[in-house]
Amino acid sequence: MLTTTGVADNNLIQRCLPSPSRRALRPYPVIECFQKIPCNPCSTSCPFHAILPMDSIHDIPVLDFEKCTGCGACARVCPGLAIFIIDESRGDGTGSVTLPYEFCSLPQKGEIVSTMNRAGYVVGEGTVIRVSAGKTSGTPLVTLSVPIEQVHDVRFFCSKKDTDQLVSKDGAEINTDKFINSEGVDDEAMICRCEGITRREICELIAEGYTTVDEIKRISRAGMGPCQARTCGPLIADEIARMTGQPRDSILPSMHRPPVIAQPISFFTGGDEK
Amino acid sequence: MNLPKTASVVIVGGGISGCAIAWNLAHRGVKDIVLVEKDTLSNGSTGRCGAGIRMQWGAEMNCHLAQYSVRFFENANETLEYERDIEFKQNGYLIVAANVREAAQFKKNVELQNRLGISSVYLSPQEAHKIVPIIDTSQFVAATFCPEDGHLNPFHTTEAFAQSAERLGVKIFKHTEVTGIDVSLGRIRAVETSRGRISTNTVVVAAGGWSKEIGAMAGVNIPIYVQRHQILVTEPMEPVFGPMVMGFDFNIYIQQVPHGSILMGRSDDTEPRDFRISSGWRFVEEMTKTCSRLLPALSQVNIIRQWSGHYCMTGDAQPIYGPVPEVEGMYLACGFSGHGFMLAPATGQLITDMILGEPLTIDVSNLDVGRFKRGELVFESSVV
Ligand SMILES: Cc1cc2nc3c(=O)[nH]c(=O)nc-3n(C[C@H](O)[C@H](O)[C@H](O)COP(=O)(O)OP(=O)(O)OC[C@H]3O[C@@H](n4cnc5c(N)ncnc54)[C@H](O)[C@@H]3O)c2cc1C
Ligand code: SF4
Ligand code: SF4
Ligand code: FES
Repeated sequence: MLTTTGVADNNLIQRCLPSPSRRALRPYPVIECFQKIPCNPCSTSCPFHAILPMDSIHDIPVLDFEKCTGCGACARVCPGLAIFIIDESRGDGTGSVTLPYEFCSLPQKGEIVSTMNRAGYVVGEGTVIRVSAGKTSGTPLVTLSVPIEQVHDVRFFCSKKDTDQLVSKDGAEINTDKFINSEGVDDEAMICRCEGITRREICELIAEGYTTVDEIKRISRAGMGPCQARTCGPLIADEIARMTGQPRDSILPSMHRPPVIAQPISFFTGGDEK
Repeated sequence: MNLPKTASVVIVGGGISGCAIAWNLAHRGVKDIVLVEKDTLSNGSTGRCGAGIRMQWGAEMNCHLAQYSVRFFENANETLEYERDIEFKQNGYLIVAANVREAAQFKKNVELQNRLGISSVYLSPQEAHKIVPIIDTSQFVAATFCPEDGHLNPFHTTEAFAQSAERLGVKIFKHTEVTGIDVSLGRIRAVETSRGRISTNTVVVAAGGWSKEIGAMAGVNIPIYVQRHQILVTEPMEPVFGPMVMGFDFNIYIQQVPHGSILMGRSDDTEPRDFRISSGWRFVEEMTKTCSRLLPALSQVNIIRQWSGHYCMTGDAQPIYGPVPEVEGMYLACGFSGHGFMLAPATGQLITDMILGEPLTIDVSNLDVGRFKRGELVFESSVV
């Protein structure tokens, strides 16, 4: 299901959940990250070290629910918007879903919104109970209160007035054809997620004779994104080593330059400008 | 591909200059050309530059050189049959005057430019604001604008020249370093490289800041020095301004590239004069201050990378073009002093004119290496 439609099914979701007692105790994250992609910010950002360190950047995150407080820090940093914080401990027949929301403008607290499931179909209504835009960086988080039986279904929302234009739950079927990718799954794998460059594109450039990380970066932009090749750089070097037969250690990375993480211009001008 | 034993011309350096010269020579019928690059193409200043091009110069010759190059770039994807895109965007350069002295000079520059057929205009801060709506008009006294100025993607432009040259038969050797030049009886005999020797009568030195070392291999002193220049880039964002915004006294050039990122750089005469290309803190601090003064709306944009390259400087901040009097067969195309990217089409054309002994397309005879000894420096006011 996941690989053909991009929508995780109930089986997969059940595997992400903690024990019933932990569910009743306090909020917990559901990490809907199922594929071995080169990504790890969740594991390095948890202030309580509840997401275990990854041996390889391709590892799937593993969560220790006993350490986890449900604070939501991981949901804010996950570039895949794959982490949701669920609260089933409210005890009033409602539950809440906290989801990353990347759009402008943010909803208002108290607003009634249409809730949607993973496939984008409207499943009911919810109330915005918290909007947290984040002090520095990171994705804003929106918390919705929803009927408790819907906490594992609701994953997005939209303003009520837009709902008319949407296909309802029992409307048209999802066209699965365009998701089907029987062969070449590997080739279409993203290597540079920031710039949207696939393994096939990288391999074609290597075959054309661009056999250094820098040359591939200059011609394709792979590595020029906001993460500055921290994710894709080693993968590109792997491909070069594999295709040219050179030892992996001899493939030079692109030069690391400041800043270590992106910072706004105002950060450097300090207080004296304002 | 094996290194050939002989060549009619050996070009040293695979930056924009070397590649443009190689293409021009081949395009005009020269055979057996070899280009050697010690690293990869665009490894030197070319791959680190702002890649802006402007016709708004203060000296007539520079206007001519830039005009020639703009006209070339306008059709370069087709002329060079490049399958990707050199991304030449003609969104103009808006040059701002920080004070009345600069404004007076700009007025003269525009008169000269208009006389030469360059469509620049002199503007009030309010008129400039219409072109770049995020600029703070209280910070400058006047501006000039030329809509045909613009910028390119330096990697793709270099590739475009190199690939077209290769299709015309030029042999390009990357990861091949020139280690010696064999001169006897005042003539070039051969070039020694890390992969072997190539006998030749003609060598073109287009090695950017390293040209001084290449000159020394032939016993020639090329009066240039290198100096670090820093630059930074932000994350991509929606288009907010079209032109390159530049100020000489302000000490800034800033542009948004087609991809959405914003590039900005400045000069600093206290920068080290050697091959160091590390990145410093003071640059970001000064750079972001100037940027927030002139374009305050950008203050929340994230910087993702700063880097640096070097300018290859001469005593008058003008390039050195032409033969070396003491060594027959040695030609120089270096010392571009921070504006060699935009001049590349003219560089290729003129060095080819000289090697083929044809009349110069633009008279650059006063840019010869001998001018420094003669004390005949060329004056240009509009440089960063
Ligand atoms: C931050 C910055 C911003 C700039 N902005 C602009 C701008 O907006 N517009 C503009 O027109 N110009 C700009 N410039 C200037 C421009 O980058 C240069 O003038 C231009 O790129 C010079 O190109 P080149 O081919 O002559 O030299 P380079 O690009 O330096 O190429 C020289 C090549 O020679 C090779 N080489 C050296 N030694 C050897 C050897 N022994 N054997 C073989 N190969 C060798 C090097 O590896 C290198 O690739 C800027 C420069 C910097 C640093
Ligand atoms: S919710 Fe907070 S405590 Fe739990 S895993 Fe995420 S960051 Fe760690
Ligand atoms: S940050 Fe998100 S996408 Fe990346 S590994 Fe963690 S859960 Fe998966
Ligand atoms: S994945 Fe961030 S630059 Fe490639």
